[in-house]
Amino acid sequence: MIIRFCINGRDTELDVRGDERAVDILRERLGLTGTKEGCGTGECGACAILVDGRARLSCLTLAAQLDGRDLTTIEGLGSPEAPHPLQQSFAERGAVQCGFCTPGMVVAAADLLARDPHPGREAIREALSGNLCRCTGYSRILDAVHKVDER
Amino acid sequence: MSAYLPGTLTDLWDLLEEADTAVMAGGTDLLVRRRAGKCAGRICCLERIPELRGVQEEEGVLEIGATTTLTDLLESATVAARLPMLHQAVRQLGSPLVRNQATLGGNMCTASPAGDTLPALYALGAQAVLLSRRTERVLDVAEFIAGPGRTALEPGEILARVRIPLPEPNAVQHFEKVGRRRALAISVASLAAVLRLDGDVVRDIRLAFGSVAPTVLRCAEAEAWLTDRTLTADNLRHAAGLVRSAVLPIDDVRATADYRRQVAGNLLLRLETYRP
Amino acid sequence: MQHEPYDIGPARPRLDALAKACGAELFSADSYPPGLLWAGARRCGVPHGILRGVDAAAARALPGVHAVLTREDVPGSNRQGIVHKDMPVLCGTRVRHCGDPVALVVAESRDILRQALALVRVDIEPLPVLADIDAALAPDAPLIHEADGSNVLLAAEIRKGDAEEALAQCDVVLEETFFTPSQAHAFLETENGLACLDEDGVLHLTVSTQAPFRDRFEIGHALGLAPWKIRVHSPFLGGGFGGKDGATVQCLLALAALRLPGRTIKMWWDREESFLAGYKRHAARMHYRLGAMHDGTLKSVVCRLWYDSGAYAHLGGEIMELGMEHAAGPYRVEHMDCRGLCVYTNNPVAGAFRGFGVAQVSLAFEGMMDRLAGRLGRDPLDLRRQNALRRGDRNCAGVTLTSSVGLDECLRRVRDHELWTTRHTWKKAAPPFTRRGVGIAAVFNGMGYGRGLADNAIAKIELTPDGRFVIYSGVPDMGQGNASTFAQIAGEMLCQDAGRLEVVQPDTERAHPSGSASAGRTTYTFGQALIKACELMTAKLVRRAALALMIDEPGGITLVPGAVRHLPTGKELPLAAMGAMLPRDDRVCVAEYLMPVSREVPDTGRDFPLGFPHLIFPFAAHLVRVEVDELTGLVRVCDYLAATDGGRVLNPQNFHQQIEGAVAQGLGFALMEGFGTENARITTPDLSTYLIPTSLDFPDTQSVAVETLEHSGPFGMKGVGEVGLNGPLPAVASALSDALGARIDRAPVTPAMILELLASRGAQA
Repeated sequence: MIIRFCINGRDTELDVRGDERAVDILRERLGLTGTKEGCGTGECGACAILVDGRARLSCLTLAAQLDGRDLTTIEGLGSPEAPHPLQQSFAERGAVQCGFCTPGMVVAAADLLARDPHPGREAIREALSGNLCRCTGYSRILDAVHKVDER
Repeated sequence: MSAYLPGTLTDLWDLLEEADTAVMAGGTDLLVRRRAGKCAGRICCLERIPELRGVQEEEGVLEIGATTTLTDLLESATVAARLPMLHQAVRQLGSPLVRNQATLGGNMCTASPAGDTLPALYALGAQAVLLSRRTERVLDVAEFIAGPGRTALEPGEILARVRIPLPEPNAVQHFEKVGRRRALAISVASLAAVLRLDGDVVRDIRLAFGSVAPTVLRCAEAEAWLTDRTLTADNLRHAAGLVRSAVLPIDDVRATADYRRQVAGNLLLRLETYRP
Repeated sequence: MQHEPYDIGPARPRLDALAKACGAELFSADSYPPGLLWAGARRCGVPHGILRGVDAAAARALPGVHAVLTREDVPGSNRQGIVHKDMPVLCGTRVRHCGDPVALVVAESRDILRQALALVRVDIEPLPVLADIDAALAPDAPLIHEADGSNVLLAAEIRKGDAEEALAQCDVVLEETFFTPSQAHAFLETENGLACLDEDGVLHLTVSTQAPFRDRFEIGHALGLAPWKIRVHSPFLGGGFGGKDGATVQCLLALAALRLPGRTIKMWWDREESFLAGYKRHAARMHYRLGAMHDGTLKSVVCRLWYDSGAYAHLGGEIMELGMEHAAGPYRVEHMDCRGLCVYTNNPVAGAFRGFGVAQVSLAFEGMMDRLAGRLGRDPLDLRRQNALRRGDRNCAGVTLTSSVGLDECLRRVRDHELWTTRHTWKKAAPPFTRRGVGIAAVFNGMGYGRGLADNAIAKIELTPDGRFVIYSGVPDMGQGNASTFAQIAGEMLCQDAGRLEVVQPDTERAHPSGSASAGRTTYTFGQALIKACELMTAKLVRRAALALMIDEPGGITLVPGAVRHLPTGKELPLAAMGAMLPRDDRVCVAEYLMPVSREVPDTGRDFPLGFPHLIFPFAAHLVRVEVDELTGLVRVCDYLAATDGGRVLNPQNFHQQIEGAVAQGLGFALMEGFGTENARITTPDLSTYLIPTSLDFPDTQSVAVETLEHSGPFGMKGVGEVGLNGPLPAVASALSDALGARIDRAPVTPAMILELLASRGAQA
């Protein structure tokens, strides 16, 4: 089936199979490998992307469900040359270690900040509780979101 | 495999006439089961049918569309103010990412004994509104859930809405979930309780336990014992004993049956904190 | 700011962090070259059995399947293993654990691969399952590796003094048996890689691996190839923790690539396969007797350790060795008699994991210290300080600590911390249905490979024609941040800003062999080599600059950001000019470093072919405050403090990251992560059943650096990657004992265990 969507500001059309997952078309067909896969069952959050502004698990989303939607992946939030404030804050505050969970973490944080621009630390903890990180112990990630406005 | 995203109920009914069609709401359970090879066939997504989504209050009853996401529920002021128990249960379900997709109807249709919203729905006396091309019927949630993983849904029928009578504002609503961690945890035992207190005397109480029986367990014996008695540690301890006799827990990788039995009773003891 | 040198000392952001935060860094999993084929292993799914046959006909017949390979297709020895080569690439006659591979399928797409794997028919005659150490040691137990003649991979002893005799002289003798579980690394990027055989017969691999140089030899041995015909590249890893040290996908990928020359083959284990076939921490049983005097002086430790190696050796003997070497804790103990058995079972394969054998015994020796403090009525922190190792002492393996020892200072930091000084009032303020407890632990972890294996690294640095410096790293960065630290070392030595420093991730063709990313050695060993390479580079550039500036002698010439400056005249030569001027051979400096080993030869530990003893140890003291809910047995970790002696801190951000991350992983080990098996079949096959900590589970760790000076290390540092993992379990056990009035002897501590302990103490409560 043909699906059309806007991804990172660009209108895109793809022919997909009914059982294809969103994460696979992003990574393998659109070359957007910033979106990671860590479990395939919604337990780790590494595959989070924004769909109509809300963070979703792209491993538990069918490609077909993207039809007509507006998507933002980690690449759409910013690049090393023009990073999103969250990406900058993650990098500066030591919130990145191996970095494999980081894109999903940043996407989940972007969803939070869109709804609550100045969340408290506990609200951030809760908002990121679906994104597993095995390297950090989380506190620098919480700092990065909490202090995103402080430079 | 094909996936369909009907935009109207009429289109949906046509699609459901084909055999081997799975209905998908948020996909957080269904797609995990598919990945494990536990189900195949066509998928029909409900997410684009507007009638199935949204929260509405009418005459003391809250009607929640089956595909309303759990995040939408958390963001509903009415749910937060009038159904704090459901609010808490939803807040502890999965993770924010899961809740952005998962729906109330999906949690009910999965019909897991550990379904996090179910104890609250049982305790609140919720009803399920079932719809097919030609019929609409209303079942109590306890009738809707037929067993672990089984519901009363007939072929061609979907869960459309959930009706929850709003408890009176001064009723105590209590929810507690025991999981092995604080997010993304499948419940090991849970208790949803609604009670009305007259001083420290219990006038009306409904207790629903999750994960300690094949379906959510309403404990009539404990409810009867506590009714018209004071909310003391001794009375609660006695009722906890009744709960432990009533539950039918199993051993699994998360906890033993013995632990579940003991904790199901213990959870009741926490109600003492509501004693004025 | 832009020209500020990227130097040692300040908390500098990592150079790789921004690209990772933007999703721009390419991990090996992110590579999808055009025309790639997907490879996957058919796992046997049976813990123990005779492989009667593999029927691949149906799978081979499936359109889109390029190859289905079995044991007969494997050239070479078909044996993998770091030291002990006992693990088949593909099983031929015997399967020893559920994850053993019996066929390798290569297909056009992942879908076809999945279908084809399901079509491979396997005929296995089951054998009795050896599900634990006792079953494997039973006299009539079948042999898992028949050629070995025993299910014991290694039996070893470390003895110092006469421990039994000393025990008889002690005022107090305590006895206890402890158990620690298997643990999964659960890195977010599961095992994966790509391979391609080029037209010159060179095998190219890109793998998420901690040991690219060693991989060449492992693949070469298993498949009968010359190692120098194998090139391995390891991009940044999405986590490792020891689980990517040793063969995972390498030999399978290489086998597929050999069969299909010119095609790029990709293999990426999903989470379930990672849990099924990946390495785990060794489950252990530890029986201890500790003897002490009334005044608290430790005298003697007699202990017996059993480590469950699972179906294959990996580094089981070496891992148990570390446990034995640390068995009596970071204390002065005159007499020790430690005997260990590392045993084959049909459980998932155990291997390297942060805290390498030491995480297990840490529960035991600290548990014994708590019991002793309780028996003697002593303050547990004070008792530890009384016995703490100091520089010049001999440790329990008989090695004199000639290097930095900051344990007592770590303990003092904890003692003076508010979390310790206010513990009594905090405990008394426990809310209803809640008990509170405060626990501490003192731990250490030997650094480097130890004797018997050269802990060597070779650093290469190049001045580019455009005046930047490229460091060719020989040791992978699995997330610990060594790549960026290498840049920082070069920035310090060469006085250059971050924009002029680039680190190339290990590639066996471009970098020099430098060992594995493991053992807390990466920054230490490679860092020392890099310092030397930078010294050579500086000396070279100064002399070349003198020539170019027509100065008669190089005195007074120094490097500044972007240039070489002659101080007496103020003349400068841009690095870009120097880079353009020099031929490549002259722009490259290479230097190496070999970690020192103990000059003492303890008259024990002769059973260890390598890895015994260690010379340099980071130390730590941890404190945890916990709350226990009496109704559910749930434990809440309220506060955590870690004081760590890792020598001088090169970059506080990296240092604290290591500690905080290790503590989180250690708290998981203590409270939620038991990798489950039932009759050697996995009961926690995925991330919904095997739980690791989320952001809501544990508090922020307060990490305090105790900066001793490690004279042998680069800028005075020693490696802290592992020591932080050893503290949480014993500290939590100690805190729970404090809260419950009952001792903890195993992990993970479950709510059910807590309720049982509460019930057994019910009368007193």
